[in-house]
Amino acid sequence: MVAAAFVASVQAADGVPDITVMPIARDGQVVVSFEMSDAFTPDVRDAIQSGLPTTFSYDLELRRAGLLARTVASVAISATVRFDNLTRRYQMARSVDGRLEDARPTEDLAAVRAWMTRFERIPLSETASLETNGEYFVRVRARTRPHNTWFFWPWSGTTLGQAKFTFIQ
Amino acid sequence: MSPATVTSITPRRATGSTPAPGPPRRPFRDNPRLILAGIAALLVVLAALLVIASGTSRFSPDFLSEFVLYGLSAADLTMLVALVFVLLRNIVKLLVERRKALPFARFRSKLVALLLAMTLVPTVLVLIVGSELIRTNIDRWFNAPMADILTSANQIAGDYYHEQQMVASDHANRLARTLANADLTSSDVRLVRDRLAPDVTLQRVQMVGVYRVVPSSGSLPSLEPVVDVAAPSLPPGHSRAAVDRLAAQALAGSAETRSIETLGPSGDLLHAAAIIRRDQKPVGVVVATAYLTGEMAARARRMTKAFEDYNQLRVLKRPLTGLYLSFFLMVTLLILFGAIWMGSYLAKRITQPALALSAAAREIGAGRLDQRVEPQSNDEFGSLVEAFNAMASELAASRRKVDRGTIQLERKHLEVEGRRRYIETILERITAGVVSVDASGAITTINGAGSRLLGLDRSIVGQAALQAFDRADLQPLGALIAGVGRGPAQPTAHEIAMVRDGQELHLAAVATALVGDSGAPEGVVLVLDDVTPLIRAQKVAAWREVARRLAHEIKNPLTPIQLSAERLRRHFAGAPPQARALVDECSQTIIGEVESLKGLVDEFSQFARMPSPRTVPTDLGRLIADTLALYHGIFTDVRIEHRVAPGVPMVRLDGEQIRRVIINLVDNAIEAMERRGEIVVETQLDAANTVVRVVVADDGPGIPPAEREKLFLPYYSTKRRGSGLGLAIVRRIIAEHGGSIEVGGNTPRGTRFTIELPC
Repeated sequence: MVAAAFVASVQAADGVPDITVMPIARDGQVVVSFEMSDAFTPDVRDAIQSGLPTTFSYDLELRRAGLLARTVASVAISATVRFDNLTRRYQMARSVDGRLEDARPTEDLAAVRAWMTRFERIPLSETASLETNGEYFVRVRARTRPHNTWFFWPWSGTTLGQAKFTFIQ
Repeated sequence: MSPATVTSITPRRATGSTPAPGPPRRPFRDNPRLILAGIAALLVVLAALLVIASGTSRFSPDFLSEFVLYGLSAADLTMLVALVFVLLRNIVKLLVERRKALPFARFRSKLVALLLAMTLVPTVLVLIVGSELIRTNIDRWFNAPMADILTSANQIAGDYYHEQQMVASDHANRLARTLANADLTSSDVRLVRDRLAPDVTLQRVQMVGVYRVVPSSGSLPSLEPVVDVAAPSLPPGHSRAAVDRLAAQALAGSAETRSIETLGPSGDLLHAAAIIRRDQKPVGVVVATAYLTGEMAARARRMTKAFEDYNQLRVLKRPLTGLYLSFFLMVTLLILFGAIWMGSYLAKRITQPALALSAAAREIGAGRLDQRVEPQSNDEFGSLVEAFNAMASELAASRRKVDRGTIQLERKHLEVEGRRRYIETILERITAGVVSVDASGAITTINGAGSRLLGLDRSIVGQAALQAFDRADLQPLGALIAGVGRGPAQPTAHEIAMVRDGQELHLAAVATALVGDSGAPEGVVLVLDDVTPLIRAQKVAAWREVARRLAHEIKNPLTPIQLSAERLRRHFAGAPPQARALVDECSQTIIGEVESLKGLVDEFSQFARMPSPRTVPTDLGRLIADTLALYHGIFTDVRIEHRVAPGVPMVRLDGEQIRRVIINLVDNAIEAMERRGEIVVETQLDAANTVVRVVVADDGPGIPPAEREKLFLPYYSTKRRGSGLGLAIVRRIIAEHGGSIEVGGNTPRGTRFTIELPC
């Protein structure tokens, strides 16, 4: 039997985007479910409704806890939506590590929100590469496009979330 | 223009292995080509910015807000950091230069500050005003009427599309119900076509397609097209793929039962699918298609695009504003950067030649006349540098001439100085006194002999000769100097006698006029020669001649007189007693006086015929001790002390003559003390003057100063008896030994004779 314990380390504050990360090690894989809350701001909705392609990019990293954290595995996920004001339909797409994984239309904004912010059981790594009783954490860094700031700042629009777990076999 | 540099023209020795150094590399800011290249690059960047700014309308807002804004922000940030760095560097540099009080530091800081202010103030003002204009104009883009119009237009287009889709969907649903009882599996599709035809012919829809469900081996059933009915007005080029996909999607239970197929300029096809059910079981799918003409579709697309563009601009208002502000900021920063650089460059360019000239002037002022300033431009600074270099060359040439003259002058000075020292040494060493008087009558020099002979201190130098020679015994000298030039041209010697320290001194004085090359009188040189010994020798020689003649003239008749007296006494031996007594007494007196005269004549003869001394190295102390030993036990009340200084060397002398000198002086002392008192005979060594001094001092009554010099004259005696030749003989013996004898007073009383003999 394989089990894992996790602790969500980041608590959300009102109005500030936050990422809840839930790593699970089961059946020989480390999978991660995460959700970014409060990211669907009026600015984002306006951007989507204006027809701008809007992308939420997520960088997932599985790292060995320690003074010098070592990256065990990483995955880049992006969710994109574009609204057609003529047909009033949203065209959504998801890609993992640059590969298009899924694309579908919808007319439901709630579905768009879930599409962009909620991810379930994203495979991150094989458990074989983990050490028994080792402390690990999964860090999720999210970026949104387009930026809506006066001045470009490389770290603006970035949200971080992470969760620790001990791999027990 | 480029700054000048200071170089030394001192030639360097070329070494065998080291290659000759090339021309100094100019720094970047001093290289005109690089400067032009930099200005060109700046202009290119500005032109590129202008092109990009003018073309922003062609780029998507997303691209502008992401990539262009990113690039501009990074460039702005970099330039801002560079600008601050350059500004701080220049400010710190100027402050350091001012603190070090470097030349032109204040001028440069003022110049840079002025140029900065001239650029910074208007640029910042333009930046502020321009930024506000940009923001205001961008705000004006998004005014309410425009938003309402575009929203309404988009609403109309969307509603039209939606309505057409709903129409197609309604027809699809109605046809699906109509075809529920139709046999879709039959190969005869005329019945189905007949049911579809009215909708197409009546232009309710432009195309209808029917599919039947074919059971498959997989979990999902597949569709098979049954029949298509299309209106002739439908443009060619549409494909079945979109219809097939929508049918399959509808059969799969997807909520998305509508789709839009774009035919490009021909228009759009709005598909709607509905499932044909029989007994609630899907047996087929019908897809109804409405057609929007190309013009209509394009118009709707344009309306939507305008709405989307407007909204995208509105959504990206902040980054777009930032973008334009970044453009503006970048141009401003480029201008500022260029202005600061140009200000610094101009300040340096203006002050550098002056600095180089100043540094070179300091070097030249310090004596390094080989400093030159390398002219690097042909403008006024270049002319100034060339003039400076010419001046430095002339200075160097003059300096070389002066150096050569100085060397010659120093050589002559050394020569003159050598001569002066030589003459001075001679003047100091000669026994003759020399006194020089300038044209104004002031004494300019007096040598040691002159000072000693005249008894004057050397402090008289500078005084008027008449004033210095105002003393009674020196007045003849004053008169002699005053009379120079009035008498015969050839100078003549004048003998001047004076008394110094109670002793008579005879000086032969010759005054010679000094005449310059122009014939003008330049002064008088007075040469004084001490002729006292010569006078004394002349006197002694005269007295010796007198003595010799006296001895010859007197001694010859003495013997006949004595013989005659003895003959008279013998003749009157037989005479009566009274007569005989008278004769005896008279003859005895005659004979006694004759004997006395004989003794006197003998002394004269001895004085006249005294032989030259035969000197041999003699121990003077022992000689004196042996001589003084003769007096032991003779004079009980006279104490004779003999003091001998250590280190007295052997002296070449005639022992007998010196013994006679000592005996004479001691006898005189004993007689003067009336055979009661103390006599000290002391021998001293004066190594500096290479003389041995013999002092004979008594504590008798002493001799008055006026009579001391006469003591050495022949036939002068203070004794009741004696010929007066003793001290004359003593002086002669000492003189013939090359020495001298002086008489003076003893302390506290008595007489002191000092003899100096060369050793």
